[in-house]
Amino acid sequence: MAGNDSRLAVTTYLLERFGIPPAILDEYHLFERKRGWFILGKSEQVKNGAHLKVSKVGLRAFRKVGQFIKPTTRFIQAFGRFATKAIFRMDMAQFKTLVQKGEIPVDLALEKGYVILTLEDDVILGLGFYIHGTIRSQLPGKEIRESMLESF
Amino acid sequence: MDTFHPRITAPLNTAFEIYKHIIPDFSLFQESLIRPFPVHLRMNRLLAQPSKVVSALRKKGIVMTRVCREHDTLYVAEDLPYPGNLLEYFLGHIHPQAMTSALAALALRPRKHALILDMCAAPGGKSAHLADLMENTGFLVCNDLYTNRHVSLGHTLSRLGVQNSVVTGYQAQEFPLRRQFDYVLADVPCSCEGRFRETSKITQYREDKGRAQLPDIQKKILLRGFDLLKNNGEMLYATCTYNPAENESVVNFLLNERDADLLPIHPGIVFEPGLWEWNNETYDKRLTRTARFYPHHVNSVGFFMARIGRK
Repeated sequence: MAGNDSRLAVTTYLLERFGIPPAILDEYHLFERKRGWFILGKSEQVKNGAHLKVSKVGLRAFRKVGQFIKPTTRFIQAFGRFATKAIFRMDMAQFKTLVQKGEIPVDLALEKGYVILTLEDDVILGLGFYIHGTIRSQLPGKEIRESMLESF
Repeated sequence: MDTFHPRITAPLNTAFEIYKHIIPDFSLFQESLIRPFPVHLRMNRLLAQPSKVVSALRKKGIVMTRVCREHDTLYVAEDLPYPGNLLEYFLGHIHPQAMTSALAALALRPRKHALILDMCAAPGGKSAHLADLMENTGFLVCNDLYTNRHVSLGHTLSRLGVQNSVVTGYQAQEFPLRRQFDYVLADVPCSCEGRFRETSKITQYREDKGRAQLPDIQKKILLRGFDLLKNNGEMLYATCTYNPAENESVVNFLLNERDADLLPIHPGIVFEPGLWEWNNETYDKRLTRTARFYPHHVNSVGFFMARIGRK
């Protein structure tokens, strides 16, 4: 189980970078392991699994990448709707460029760091990294295919 | 004593001949084996509203039909070749899953906040469906012996937004007995006869070596699953085979060994009742409460389910 300092580091980052309220994670146990954090929904039932040898807990939610805490694509897809800032809304043309070239030029009033990528208004795709006037795709390359662009 | 039927290889027209007397409309059954499986999609309510996803897919020109009135999350998309290429797949809004497989979790119908064990969980479609039905509440233990299958299991759970699960790697028949569960799903290793379809590459049904041991393993898993149930707990035993030696005979063994009962199944689609006799052997009459799903009736994988209650 992650300690209080570890939980505070994660929730502070989510609040400061994305405006995601810390209370969102109140309903979850947070586990820290191998430069990453995992969340598991709180339940009276969880204690019944304490005797089990477990190979994976809950949903991988964050990784430590250099000085940054990097939310995972799956965490952002599930919780990105609570974000109020560091959100970049792409249109279809920008999404195509991002997938094909790996980055798109944009000018944002943001410090360098991760941004939530949405398609149009309501499809939360995952993350990009904003630096030097460009957003670099952090979407999982093996999972995003060009066919996904054609079928949209 | 049940015998397992060794048919190492057989051409299509004779492979399932031994089931001629138990599969209704047998010629239609055989005809169904030369048609490819249609794609079935389950809408994942953990990450999206089914109606919105269906609407988005239809806007892309994908023809989808609801499988039955009872379930608003199950659709068939006959002409969709590669659902994994859709953006909705990446987003976790849909999961391609044989319709009969999706019925397993629906037949178990776990309540919210329950404690659940999926004994043979990889690749994770049914586990994720259980989490969906529980709305990510309670605690779900997804077990699979083979650690190499934990990758696909973990990926499925993550992609579909499951947040109430852990993965373990015990032998199902030796899963620790220290705690009892509200629900247990045992979708056991089987001969997979129900998955057979003739394609351009596969024209003969082939049984792998070692499958003669399957009924023995299945009985051990079923017994352990039952012993892991709380009083008033419920279990679902499932296979994708037609073979009574892996289906009714295994459940009959449980009824002889434990104080178990068979509960009715209401899947919302057509099925045949389980057998109470096969190969000169008579089973407990309660076996007719189990369900057999045939491909020519449901246009999906052949399947067997038994819903078991602990008194």
